[in-house]
Amino acid sequence: MHKFTALLLASAASLALTAAANAQSVTVYTAGPADLIEELAAGFTAETGIEVGIFQATTGQMMARLEAEAANPQADIVISASMDTAYDFGAQGLLLDYTSPNAENVPDFLKGENWVVQGISALAIAWNPNSGTPEPTDWTDLTGEDYRDLVTMPDPAQSGSAYELVAALVANEAIGWELFEGLAENEMIVPGANAAALNPVLQGAKAVVFGAVDYISFNSQQAGESIEVIFPASGTVIAPRPMMILETSQNQDEAKAFIDYVLSEEGQAMVAATNLMPSRTDIAADRPLISDLDILDVDPETDRAATLARFAEIFGIE
Amino acid sequence: MRAAVQKLQLGEGGAIAAFVVPVLVVIVVFPLTFILLQAIFPNLGAGSLAEPFSRLADTFSDPRIGRWTLNTIMLGSAVVFTAALVAVPLGVLRGLFRVPLAGLWDVMFLIPFAIPPYIAALGWIMTLQPRGYLDQMTGINLGQFLFSFWGVVFVMTLNVFPVVYFAVSRTMATIGGRYVEAARVAGANPTIAFFRITLPLATPAIAASLLLVFAMAIEEFGTPAALAARSGFLVLVTGIEQKLSDYPIDLPGAALLSTILVGLAMCAFALQAWVVTRRDFRTLSGKPKTGDLTPLGNWTVPVVGFFALIAFLGAIVPVAAVFLTASTRTISGGLAWDNFSTIHFEAILANRGGAMQALQTSLGLGLTAAALTGIIGTLTAYVVVRHKSLASRMLDFLTLAPNTIPGIVVAVGLILAWTQPWLPFTPYNTIWVLVLAYCCLLLPYPVRYANAALRQIGTSLEDAARVSGANAFVAFVRIIVPLISPSVIAAMLLVFAVAARELVATILLAPIGTRTVALFIWRQFEQGSVGLGMAMSTIAIAITMTIPILVTLWMQRADNQPG
Amino acid sequence: MPAPTATSTPVNVAGISQKFGDVRVLNAVDLDIAAGETVALLGDSGSGKTTLLRLIAGLARPTGGSIHIGERCVADARTGAFLPPEARGLGMVFQDYALWPHMSVARNVGFPLEMRGISKAKREPKVREALSMVNLDAFADRQPGTLSGGQQQRVALARAIVAQPSVILFDEPLSNLDRHLREHLVVDIATLLRRLGMTAVYVTHDHSEAFALADRVAVLRGGGVLQIDAPEALVARPASIAVAEFLKLGLVLEGEVDSGEMVLGQTQRLKPPADFLNGSRTGHLFVPRNAIHPARNGDSALRTTALHSAFKGDGYAVQLQLDHGPILDFFSQTRIDKGAPVDLTIAWERARWFPSTNTHH
Repeated sequence: MHKFTALLLASAASLALTAAANAQSVTVYTAGPADLIEELAAGFTAETGIEVGIFQATTGQMMARLEAEAANPQADIVISASMDTAYDFGAQGLLLDYTSPNAENVPDFLKGENWVVQGISALAIAWNPNSGTPEPTDWTDLTGEDYRDLVTMPDPAQSGSAYELVAALVANEAIGWELFEGLAENEMIVPGANAAALNPVLQGAKAVVFGAVDYISFNSQQAGESIEVIFPASGTVIAPRPMMILETSQNQDEAKAFIDYVLSEEGQAMVAATNLMPSRTDIAADRPLISDLDILDVDPETDRAATLARFAEIFGIE
Repeated sequence: MRAAVQKLQLGEGGAIAAFVVPVLVVIVVFPLTFILLQAIFPNLGAGSLAEPFSRLADTFSDPRIGRWTLNTIMLGSAVVFTAALVAVPLGVLRGLFRVPLAGLWDVMFLIPFAIPPYIAALGWIMTLQPRGYLDQMTGINLGQFLFSFWGVVFVMTLNVFPVVYFAVSRTMATIGGRYVEAARVAGANPTIAFFRITLPLATPAIAASLLLVFAMAIEEFGTPAALAARSGFLVLVTGIEQKLSDYPIDLPGAALLSTILVGLAMCAFALQAWVVTRRDFRTLSGKPKTGDLTPLGNWTVPVVGFFALIAFLGAIVPVAAVFLTASTRTISGGLAWDNFSTIHFEAILANRGGAMQALQTSLGLGLTAAALTGIIGTLTAYVVVRHKSLASRMLDFLTLAPNTIPGIVVAVGLILAWTQPWLPFTPYNTIWVLVLAYCCLLLPYPVRYANAALRQIGTSLEDAARVSGANAFVAFVRIIVPLISPSVIAAMLLVFAVAARELVATILLAPIGTRTVALFIWRQFEQGSVGLGMAMSTIAIAITMTIPILVTLWMQRADNQPG
Repeated sequence: MPAPTATSTPVNVAGISQKFGDVRVLNAVDLDIAAGETVALLGDSGSGKTTLLRLIAGLARPTGGSIHIGERCVADARTGAFLPPEARGLGMVFQDYALWPHMSVARNVGFPLEMRGISKAKREPKVREALSMVNLDAFADRQPGTLSGGQQQRVALARAIVAQPSVILFDEPLSNLDRHLREHLVVDIATLLRRLGMTAVYVTHDHSEAFALADRVAVLRGGGVLQIDAPEALVARPASIAVAEFLKLGLVLEGEVDSGEMVLGQTQRLKPPADFLNGSRTGHLFVPRNAIHPARNGDSALRTTALHSAFKGDGYAVQLQLDHGPILDFFSQTRIDKGAPVDLTIAWERARWFPSTNTHH
């Protein structure tokens, strides 16, 4: 028994070392690139002396945590990968109104009374040039015989941006559900979330991702992977990442300072460095920007459940 | 007289129960209650009890639930079946025969536990899919098999069979070979002796471990999602994850679906309890026996081959896939000489993203969870085994329940519970909430293992200690604990291996700024840095395995000492 | 020896050796057991007696030599022939009983019959008969765990005899029981064996058990048979000083021969009959307990002093110390006080002289 006790004390001691208390601080719940938030936090702390506590997960996991701790909210700032969060929280009155002075160069459609976009990703076709297939140029190309059994797509039930792509494409009269029926006919697979769709294409089991998240594909490309990011001719959808301050925040001044920092030239350069599109139009990036893309509109009135059900039915993933 | 004795024992077991029950209330009942409350009251998170049961109808009216439930039962049963098929023979051989390299196999069979299921699934995908490592090396492509129902069963069996293997081998070693010898002399051939003597005697341990396997199989999300979802095979957990993964978040729906899983587990538990009560034997009496293992003779080569095959599939292939991915610069470059590189390992060693801190935290969490669950599990099992009552049966199920609920739902329960404003203090947002979560999720291993081991120990051994002047506590510590320690240590190693790499609950519960190995790996995957994630996995598996290796060596030395 | 029945069989063990790694546990042992005979294998732990029994049972394979049960060769290290235990038609009683805890008493006892393919209806009377032979008729439906040690061992006995095996093996079956029960069960087993006429091999470390049960006793030491003989012959004529010492048959003293007299530790001189000291200069004197008597005046006497004396009801157990040190247990009808000198004489016709091994004998 004394061995147990000794073990316990030793482990407790090692845990105590890792726990630290924060003095002046701001807590950020964020979806999306871990490297980006850590760089932003480090830069912000260096500039202001305010510590940043980070919780990073997927949008869904972050929302689950926020909802579960609603009785005792812990976050000051939420950065989501889905605009729905901003609209929904805004409607529930959970958000603090704030317009950052640095948001001047952010286009109007990327900011609201109580939210502003950190950066934007878009969906694209990610194609492996070593796959022996011709380079696709548009979504509809992927129903062709060249790509039979060689296409993957993130599951719209697990990826908010993939859902928006489906909603936007089926709303287009020239495309409609026929596109997805054709893709199903062509044996496209829907293996899971974004990473699960990209991996088989990298290894060569498949050739093309239909609706890959662009910045992840750019990052892979920079790491030397054989992957090309193609923005389809008929347009695509974007996923802006809204930042918002919670009404319940006990550190509202620090939170505002953090938003200002993310929207500063320095902060936006960090966003651009992760291959996201910066929300400020005056920041350069090494990739196509919003102004270079044809953006498809998504009707917010689309019946989400029905769309997902139809998609699942077509691909037999009910 | 007899009544007096029983009363006496109840009184003293009561002291242990008085410790165990409040601990279990805090660790298990508290979060589970909030899951249940969440299922009933949709606005619980905001502290409101408005509109009770309002989500019941629309959640359960989903026509897919029936099919998901059936699929879940099919998957759970199939994994239980194949795990038994693989692990019961392995465990019997290990427990009763002189298997060469026994310590090596014990360590090898712990490796599947040190590999997170999502990594193992990814490893298998990258090995077996078209243009995968197997295809690149041999031209064989088994993608068709992998992405099917049986592919899921195959991968999940390799993930969970150690639970059965360790339970059966420890029990077999305790039972010993003499019952079989008696049967052989009485005219039973080895097959009959196995089915008539060995198997029935090991039934409680096998049933307990298969129950764990079932609970794990119906709760596991990553593997079925990664392998079979594309072919349209969805399970209940898929539905639960969906409710928690995208807008709008549906906590009550997830909690309600989880109750189906708990219900399934209750059925399995009842079945197991029925099997065990009908065969409750005390095989370990006070009579000394020789611990001689039977030589394998002509069977040595095939048996070692069998062990090696399972070790190859369960440990070597996934680890090799992880290592290969970590050692290649890019995935699309494949297994080409100019693509091999140590950049990913260099990045880890350069402490990119707090890798070292993550390793330290994970090891600390693993050790703490193993120590706590070992102690609590042993005490709980003792109360359950020694006092047969409805209350103790409920206690027993209580320690299984968290294992049947998806980790993410347990995590939600913990958040709901520990952020209640009326609490005088809370571990939430400290590292201890992770310890609580792991204890809640992993307590079933020590409880099942200690339970099975305790059932074999006659009360006479304890009585002898009491008569010799030991009080109940001393008798427990000096007699019971050493006798069941091989089983409990095996379970604690499982807990350690799992807690050191747990992801699903950790993501949601991680205190602000905390890094663990699993979080680190997952973040790399999320950003598309698969190679970096796999390099971290390789290092984590290697470091995680050193502790079980040391423990195994130490136990072997203890075994070999005379007396 | 009881008349062999139709079912009993001889057992022949020829040149059996067993090695575990580099350790030689049995060294070319020969043993011939007649049909219906009971042979006890008597020895200390490590003597190889249990190993020999397990080889006969088929629970281990010999590394040398062969074993025949009846006409059948059941193990031959040279040809590699080996009959598994279940094919040897044996009964066996284990030291720790090895009753299967998941079966009732009746199922335990019926198991060997079941394995021989005997139908349930035919098994029942046989099981009942076997249980009644060990006086456990009423216990058929009990679980083994609910029985006392002695009862469990009787169930084990019933299980061993129920199928009327040609050979029955006992592995220290009584060592876990108390003395009273042991003495009781020895008689029961002996009676049963004689009644059934089975060939039996009985491993024990207890002389009295071996002597009470066996037609012949094989004394084992260090993996070899020192002597095999009827109990009476063993006591009367131990083949070596080792047997005499192991069986604690009486006084064993080292001596030297000097001009027709025996010198024990320089101080004691004894004069044995003329032809007693055959040849050698040194050797051991063995005197059976019943050949030592208090000396009458004038006898050539062994001088001792009483160390300790205890009244035993029908006499006195006395420890005597010889002048040069060795201690001797002696039973006296009369009281001897502590410290009193006691002179002993030896009935030379029952004593033996074992010359040292460097001379031929």
